[in-house]
Amino acid sequence: MLNFLLRRIGVMFLMIFLVSTMIFFMFRLMPGDPTAFVVDPSIPTEAREQLLDRYGLNESLFVQYQIFIKDLVRLDFGDSYFYNRPAIEIIQEKLAATLILMIAAMIIAYTIGVLIGALMAWRRGTKFESFAITFALFFRSAPTFWIGLIAILVVSVQFGLLPAQGMRSAGTGGGTFSEMFLNLDFLRHLILPTIVASLYFIATPLLIMRNSMLEVMSEDYIEMARAKGIKEWKILYYHAARNALLPVVTAGALFIGSAIGGQVLLEVVFSWPGLGREIVTAVTRHDYPLAQACFIIISAVVMFMNLVADLMYAFLDPRISYN
Amino acid sequence: MSFKRKSLIFGCLLVVTMLFMSACGGGQTGDVSDDELGEMVPSLVILSSLPEANMVNYEMAQEVAEELQELGVDIVAQPMDFAVLLDVLYGEDMDYDAFTIGWSGRIERLDPDMFIHSIFHSDNAGVGGNNTSRYRNPAFDALADAQRQEMDLEKRREIVFEAQEILAEDVPLITLYSRANMQTYNKERFENVINIPGEGLFNEWTPFTLTPLTDKTVPVVASNVNIDDINPLSSKSVYGWRNLRLIYDKLVRLSPEIEPVPWAAESWEVVADDVIDVTLRSGMTFHDGEPVTVEDVKFSYDLFIDQNVEYFASFLEPIDSVEITDENTVRFNLKYAYAPFITNTLAQIPILPQHIWEDISNPVQYANSEAIGSGPFKLERFQTGEELVLSRFDEYFEPPIIEGYIFQIFASPEGVLTALELGNVDMVSYDLVPAHTEQIFNNDGGRYDHLELTEAQDIGFFYLGFNIDRPPFDNREFRKAVAYLTDYDLALDVHLNGYGARGGGGFSIVEANEFWHNPNVPIYDTYDPEMARQILEDAGFTWDSNGRMRMPK
Repeated sequence: MLNFLLRRIGVMFLMIFLVSTMIFFMFRLMPGDPTAFVVDPSIPTEAREQLLDRYGLNESLFVQYQIFIKDLVRLDFGDSYFYNRPAIEIIQEKLAATLILMIAAMIIAYTIGVLIGALMAWRRGTKFESFAITFALFFRSAPTFWIGLIAILVVSVQFGLLPAQGMRSAGTGGGTFSEMFLNLDFLRHLILPTIVASLYFIATPLLIMRNSMLEVMSEDYIEMARAKGIKEWKILYYHAARNALLPVVTAGALFIGSAIGGQVLLEVVFSWPGLGREIVTAVTRHDYPLAQACFIIISAVVMFMNLVADLMYAFLDPRISYN
Repeated sequence: MSFKRKSLIFGCLLVVTMLFMSACGGGQTGDVSDDELGEMVPSLVILSSLPEANMVNYEMAQEVAEELQELGVDIVAQPMDFAVLLDVLYGEDMDYDAFTIGWSGRIERLDPDMFIHSIFHSDNAGVGGNNTSRYRNPAFDALADAQRQEMDLEKRREIVFEAQEILAEDVPLITLYSRANMQTYNKERFENVINIPGEGLFNEWTPFTLTPLTDKTVPVVASNVNIDDINPLSSKSVYGWRNLRLIYDKLVRLSPEIEPVPWAAESWEVVADDVIDVTLRSGMTFHDGEPVTVEDVKFSYDLFIDQNVEYFASFLEPIDSVEITDENTVRFNLKYAYAPFITNTLAQIPILPQHIWEDISNPVQYANSEAIGSGPFKLERFQTGEELVLSRFDEYFEPPIIEGYIFQIFASPEGVLTALELGNVDMVSYDLVPAHTEQIFNNDGGRYDHLELTEAQDIGFFYLGFNIDRPPFDNREFRKAVAYLTDYDLALDVHLNGYGARGGGGFSIVEANEFWHNPNVPIYDTYDPEMARQILEDAGFTWDSNGRMRMPK
C-alpha cells in the first residue's frame, strides 16, 4: 500500500512538472504581448520597454523558464500583472467563492442523484424512470447560461423572490470569512446559482447510480434478501444502493477536482466572482503569472483527487487492494 | 475538318477574345499595352478587428475592401485579435498595409496634443510610436511642435486649427465614426447628473452634484470591467483611475466645460513659458487628519517621476524640477514650454500623503489597501472583482451631497441590465451596448420607466489607418480616393443605429471637442465612388487589360 502511494505521489510530481512546463511555453507562444492589455497602447515606447523589464519579459525564454521553475519549487507563482498582487492571493479569494458554489451544488446533485438513481433502477420501465431520465438529460444538454438566464428572469425579475446576481448585496462585503460567508444575505444569493448548477450536474450521479444499481440488483444476495422477506425500501437502500455507490464515488472525487475551475458561464450569468471567470480574463489579458498559477493548481488538484478516488476504492470495496 | 478551316475558327476566336478583353479594361487603356502601364497596385490586406470584438470596424473594413476590389485592387480585409493587431502595428517589422482600430476618448485627450502631436508627428512614426500611419510632413510637424509650446490658449487654438486643415488635405487616416456614450441612471432615485463628452455620467463631477431623491443616499454605480488595484502608482485600468481621482485630490480639475479650474490649488501663475507657480489651497487635510502641505505636493510629483510610472510618463517628461518657493507655493521648472502642462499634468497627478509613502520601500508594489488621500471620498473597502465602497469625506472643502457610493463590478452587461431593471444599481459607468440602449429606449411594458437614457459624444474615434511607407498608400490622391469610397452614413446610421457621429478623411479632433475642433474639417467626408475613380484617373492611375489598377508612371 505504502509503496503504491509513494509511487503514485512520485508520478504526480513529475506530471505537475511536465504540465507546468507545457503551460509556461504555451502562454509565451500565444501571439500578442502582455503590455497591450496592462497599459494603453498610447504610452510611449520607453515606458512599454520598462514595463516588459519589470515583468522580466525581456529576458530570454530559457532564463524566464529557469526563474519560473525555481519559484515554482518554492510555491511562488509571482505577482499578477493586472492586480499587482501575488497571484496566489487572488486565487485564494476567488477559489473560496467558486468552491462554496460548486460544493453546495455537488452536495445537492449527488444526494438527490444517488437517491433517485437507485429508485429509478428499482422501478425500471415505469413512467417515473423515463420521466427522470428525460429530466436529467434535458438539464444536462441545455446550455447552463440559458437555464441561468431563465431562472433569473422567472425567479428574480418576475417574482422577485431571490437576488439576481452577485455574491452579496452591494456594500455588505468585507470583514472576516464568517462575516462574509456565514450570513443570510450570502445564502440568499447562493440559492439560485446552486440550483441551476445542480440541475446541470445531477445527470452524472443519477445515471451512474441507475446503471450500477441495475447490475447490483441481478446479484444473488438481493434475491436472497427478497427471499428473507425484507422490506422493499430496506433492500433498496441498505443492501443494493450501498454496493452500487462505488462508481458514483469516483465520479464525485473527480468532480471536485474539476469543480475548482468553476463553471465559467454560470459565473458570468450570475456575476459570481469565482475562479472560472478569473482564469478566462487572465488568459485574455496575458496575465501570465495568474493564468499559470490557476492552471497549475487546477491540474494538481485533479491529479490529487484522482489519487484520493483510487484510495477510496480500496476503502469502500475490500476486494480491491494495492498490494 | 481541314487545317485551314480550323485555323480560321481559331483566328476568329482570338479576335473576339481580344475585343472582349479590351472592352473589360474600361476603355481607359485604349490601345496602350499592359507593359507600358505603371506598376500593378500591390495586393493589400486591411487588418481589422474580430466581429465579436468590434462589429462596426469589421464591417467597415469589409466594405472598403469591396469598394476597392470593384476598382480593380487586389485587397482583402482580414479580421485579427486585438492583441495581435497591436503587436503588428507597434512591432519592429511594421509589416502591414492598412488597418482599422480606434482611440478611446479619455478625458486628457480633450487636450489636442494627443490627437495632433502624439499620433501624427513624424517623431512618433518609428517602431513602437503612436503614429502608426507613418505620416511624415515637415509643415505639419512644425505646427504640432508649435501648439505644444504655445502657452496662450487662443493662439494655440489657431495653430491647432491650421494643423487640422493639413491633416484633412493629407488624409493620413480615415475616421470611420465616433460612438456616442449612451448611458443611463435611475431618475427616480437621483438627480443632477453631469454628462461629459468622452466620460459620460461617471465622471469626476457627478459625484459632487448627484442629489438623492429618496432615502437612498449611497448610489450604486455599475461596471462591467474590473478594477485592478488602488495604488495610484500602479493602477492602470481606466476605472481604477476614475475612482482613484475621487479618493486622491489633484491640483487642477477639468470643469464639465473642459476648462482647467484650480482645485487643490488656489491658483496658478505662468511665470515664464517654462516656469509655473502653483499656490496650494489652505486648510486641506488628508483622510487621516494630517494637513496637506506643499511638501506633499513636491513629494508626490517627485515620486511619480522617480518611479517612472508608465501611465503618466508622457505628462511628466517635460518637468525638470519641482521646488518649494514659500509655504504655500510650488514652482514647476519645465525643460521646455509645454502647453498641456496645466490641463494634463496638473489635472492628472494625485497628491499623496508624504507621511505614509516616504516609508514605503517599494511604492509600485505597495498594496495601498487603506488608501489615504485628500479627495472628496474616503476608501471604506476594496473587494477585488466585487466592489469598491467609498464614503463622503466630511472635512472636504466642497463636500459632495451623497454620503458615498458603491462601485459594483458585474461579469457582463446583461447582468447590469437586470440589476438596473430591478433597481439594484443606480447608474452605469460604461457605454451601454447598442442592444441595451435600444431596449431601454423602447421601454417595453414600462420596465425601464425609472431610467433616464443619456447621450454624450465620445471624443475618441475609430479609423481606417494606412501604412504611408508603402504603395499605394504613399500616394495622397489614392488616400483621398479611399476617403470617397468610405460610406460614413452606413457606419453611423446602419451599424451604430445613429448613436454616434460621422467620420471623414484625416479627422482626429471630433466635433464633440468643441473648443479645439476646426469646423472646416473634414474636407473629404462623402461617399462617392465616381468621384474616387475620377481622382484616381486624374492622379494618373490606370487600369490594365485585366481591369486591375496600375500605379501612376
